[in-house]
Amino acid sequence: MLEEVGAGPMPEAGEASAEKHAGVSRRSFLRGLGAATAATAVVSHVAVARAGNGWSIGLDGIPPEKLKQMYTLMLKSRWWEEGMKEVFLGGKDNMYGAFHISVGEEASSVGVMAALNEDDYIASNHRGHSHLIAKGGDIDKMSAELMFKETGYNKGFGGSMHITDASRGILGMNGIIGPQYLFAAGAAYSAKVRGTQQVAVAFGGDGSVNNGWYYSGLRNAALYKLPVIAVVENNGYQISMPQQRTNSLINLHDFGAGLEIPHEAVNGMDVMAVYTVAQRAVERARAGGGPTLIETKTYRYYDHAGLAGAKPGVLGAFGLPYRSDSEVRAWIAEDPIPRMRRQLVANSIITEEEADATEAEVKQLVAASIDAARAAAHPKQDAALGHVFANALVKPSQFIA
Amino acid sequence: MAVKPGGYAVLEAVQNEMRNDPHMTMLYEYQRPIAVSPMGQVIDLYKEFGEPRIPDWGPIDEEWFVGGAAGIAMTGVRAIAHVPSMCSLRCFELVFNQVGKLRHMTGGQVGMPLVIWQDAAGRMPGMAGQHADAGQEALYAAIPGIKVVVPSNPYDAKGLMTAALRDADPVIFFHYSAIDTVQTDVPDESYEVKIGEAAIRQEGSDITIVGFGPAAIEISRAAPMLKDAGISAEIIDPRTLKPLPVDALVASVKKTGRLLVVDHGHETLGTAAEIIASVAIGVPGAKVARSTFPDAPPPGAKEMITWMTPDADKIVQAAKVMMG
Repeated sequence: MLEEVGAGPMPEAGEASAEKHAGVSRRSFLRGLGAATAATAVVSHVAVARAGNGWSIGLDGIPPEKLKQMYTLMLKSRWWEEGMKEVFLGGKDNMYGAFHISVGEEASSVGVMAALNEDDYIASNHRGHSHLIAKGGDIDKMSAELMFKETGYNKGFGGSMHITDASRGILGMNGIIGPQYLFAAGAAYSAKVRGTQQVAVAFGGDGSVNNGWYYSGLRNAALYKLPVIAVVENNGYQISMPQQRTNSLINLHDFGAGLEIPHEAVNGMDVMAVYTVAQRAVERARAGGGPTLIETKTYRYYDHAGLAGAKPGVLGAFGLPYRSDSEVRAWIAEDPIPRMRRQLVANSIITEEEADATEAEVKQLVAASIDAARAAAHPKQDAALGHVFANALVKPSQFIA
Repeated sequence: MAVKPGGYAVLEAVQNEMRNDPHMTMLYEYQRPIAVSPMGQVIDLYKEFGEPRIPDWGPIDEEWFVGGAAGIAMTGVRAIAHVPSMCSLRCFELVFNQVGKLRHMTGGQVGMPLVIWQDAAGRMPGMAGQHADAGQEALYAAIPGIKVVVPSNPYDAKGLMTAALRDADPVIFFHYSAIDTVQTDVPDESYEVKIGEAAIRQEGSDITIVGFGPAAIEISRAAPMLKDAGISAEIIDPRTLKPLPVDALVASVKKTGRLLVVDHGHETLGTAAEIIASVAIGVPGAKVARSTFPDAPPPGAKEMITWMTPDADKIVQAAKVMMG
């Protein structure tokens, strides 16, 4: 099964090998660079506090275990989606239903989630696989849900677009654009009522800012000073419409100015930068400082939905009519995963061998989850009449009694 | 026990349930949840519970009451969204695609202990067009995953609100202002009117007359006139539209053989249509008819809207036609 998951190399592997072939090993090159950086990295607290907003920052003060976990989660998200992509493209599993790939946006998910506690809430959208995995979601249950199996997160009721894990504060992915902002504000309101320190994060894309629920969620979060963080993952396209053609704002976070809420943009391809910005927002929220609007500038390597332009073993979708292939390659060159790997290796958090081993292990877990999903049972037909109400079944009105 | 206005009776229910649940929260628009009984007792939920459970203010933002309250409910905290009458459909999309679906869509993971306390205008002369509506409960009842109740008097209003606030599922409580002045004794202590249970207001053998909310008020006004006309009417108020108490309606029409449904909502695809379909299937051969507000928006002039609204006189007239 392993070969089915990401059979081909990621394009960034070419980048790494180019360094290797340049005469000095990539590891020793980056180690030297890391040491040089460490030697000159005397920064004031003010500079640290401001870092992250589009600027690359170091790893100082972050426990190695946490860094490794963040790296592993990005890999897990990447290879789970790549694995499911292969399953869809393979054509042997009769896959059907929605499939919105978030590959390319892992740093946005993992960077934000790294700033959260387990009991914090997230309200996710249709492109939420990476949100779930970053929040600790179980890929076995996710794989099963994509195959509409009984063992899936939603027992086959939801599929890819609606995966939910209430036990982890994941209020759910959602097939409708915009309610995330209301749900997160509501969940934050609940935290306020209960007197907890929980925060709630809403995730939406650049298209999600274009309807009224965005305004309502943010405005009420500001009004009631709710511990809300709205993360607008600006991947440049509302379905296939460039962001510049759907909104008069180029920097979507500027909308926060009108509500007088803190707002900033961050390089969504740099997990440490996202983490820094998210931490700032979370601290402010927990301290009673109200909501923050974060715009992560990121990119969707694949099409909006489905697999147009995607090929087995190749990272990214090419030949799509609304964007250029060179644009896709430009963003893939900024891929957050090799970026973090370089940082971790350069700072001796992990070795190249450990990084390889972690990646292999993740691929193994993904392959196992897909195998288990294949073997799992389909839901019973009449299970469909349950879960409409807490304690009552719905009548099978399609039959005449 | 005393006669109490509907608004006060409902607040009694909310107050009691909020006292028993330390987290229950209500979002609302501009009307502070305050009511005064005829004996001068005051319920002031803001004063008693305060922020954040009863916010000091509320924006004109139906999406927030319902979407925010849904977010609260998703965390396991019971929430009430009190929505004013003029925009009862503004949050329809959220109820349809989120509130009613999330439990099912997530395989039972997400509970929605949410009550939408929907004020409803009713066919009021002088308000015209947008502020004299009725019948939106039929649209909500068409949505899977939610329950819809429509009390027709203060006693039922308090009991249904109490039941709604104890229900595990989202409930929309349609509160027509016409019911507030109906004279019923309302016990001080807490009680439930079970969701899904009809009330047989009067037993009879000639014809079953069914109506809820403001139409039920008109049916009760028609009752003595029907008696004078020599018609033995069985009068039933379903009180809940979803789940509709079909069994009670079918049992009655099996006895009488005639069904007249009175509805202040519109004719096409209104609640009357659903009641008639359910009963006609359950009682083959029954004679059925409906008296509804026409498929036209409500005009302002008294002469027009009064003529359009099914009232006691028209109900008697309809019953006579059916008996003939």
